[in-house]
Amino acid sequence: MISEEQQDQAALYALRLLDADEHAAFESELKGNNELRDLVRELREAAGHLALTTPSLLPPASLKQRIMREIAPQQVVPIPSPQRASFGWIPWAIAAGLALFCGLLAVDRARLERQLSDVRAVDPLMQTTFYTLAPSAPAPADAKATVAWQPGRQSGVIRISNLPAPEAGKDYQLWAVDAEHKDPISAGIVRVDKNGVAQIRFSPVEKAEHVKAFAISLEREGGVPKKEGPILLVGST
Amino acid sequence: MDYGEAPGSCMTQETLQQTTDREMMARIGHRDQSAFSTLYDRLSGPLYSLAMKMLGDPAEAQDALQDVFLQIWSRAGTYDPEQSSVFSWAVLLTRSRVIDRLRARGRRLRVVAGSTEDEEHGTTDASTVESAADTAEKSDEATRVRYVLTNLPSEQREAIEMAFFEHLTHQEIAARLGQPLGTIKARIRRGLLKLREHLHT
Repeated sequence: MISEEQQDQAALYALRLLDADEHAAFESELKGNNELRDLVRELREAAGHLALTTPSLLPPASLKQRIMREIAPQQVVPIPSPQRASFGWIPWAIAAGLALFCGLLAVDRARLERQLSDVRAVDPLMQTTFYTLAPSAPAPADAKATVAWQPGRQSGVIRISNLPAPEAGKDYQLWAVDAEHKDPISAGIVRVDKNGVAQIRFSPVEKAEHVKAFAISLEREGGVPKKEGPILLVGST
Repeated sequence: MDYGEAPGSCMTQETLQQTTDREMMARIGHRDQSAFSTLYDRLSGPLYSLAMKMLGDPAEAQDALQDVFLQIWSRAGTYDPEQSSVFSWAVLLTRSRVIDRLRARGRRLRVVAGSTEDEEHGTTDASTVESAADTAEKSDEATRVRYVLTNLPSEQREAIEMAFFEHLTHQEIAARLGQPLGTIKARIRRGLLKLREHLHT
């Protein structure tokens, strides 16, 4: 028999409203009470169904692409041995003389460039482009930010320093300035700590394949779909 | 996507759906991307709708949904079907991630839509309102849950919505409504029990 008080706790537990102590105490109680566990499970199901009372929406298709890219296994391409790449031609060069040596150098360079291109296609680090963002008024002169951007993954990391927290009711918002988009693309809100520092991973809300620059603006709290406020930091590669 | 069942045949259909979901989760646990893709197609609508209702911002809702699905991908092996269905697990996971985001930003929860009665007319900018391809089963289920919720006594519905969508604690709800704590606990309990009861019949 489940008491009314246990039912109260079960309902609050299912909605994750118990504080840490109450939560731990109730979980201990659950361990030895199958009936109570069944009740919790059913209340969780009921709570889960509340999501179906919201307006019915679908996320944009680009989100699925973004997520599927994230979970795709990373291919590993063996990087050619420097010794083989650098010295494989030496016996030939010695044997064939200076003319042939020059010819082989040209061939080897082309091969290395092809290999480098292959590696770039699959190695995330090689795909990364770095952007340095410098302050513009009204940002402090020593504020700065660096963005490491991976266009293939459509995600990046921004590190900000010396940027004081915005006034109440405001947020900093990151934008990608893309050559193929008329307006900057929002890459989300960035929040600095009390030392004016932030390190945040981000993904623009739309595909940005030709990013010329990144910028941070001061916007209304919660952010805006289209830039409205002043630019505080901006920079290109 | 088909989260639901025709009225009157709830449990049978739901069990079939839950079985399918559990199989999907098992396959995802073995790094099956096609199973993940299928589960995404099935869950992303309701989860995104929930994130939008709580966050009110498409970009933030999409980021939250991305977090949730990456977590589903990485934690599929730890999913315990004894605790909850995949759907409820994913809904509560989404709610947690959204609450984390709101807490991190230190701002108040913002519930966008108004009453449940007129929620069908809620709009967002970049989001796609679910098309007519939405299955009849899901519409039936949504209609059923909405019917049950809207037919709860208003004070119970209010307490449940404040707790679930605004993540107010029972103490906060009591303070906001000027009611004793015990009264609010009872409203949440009775409302959730009624919701459970109706979903089982």
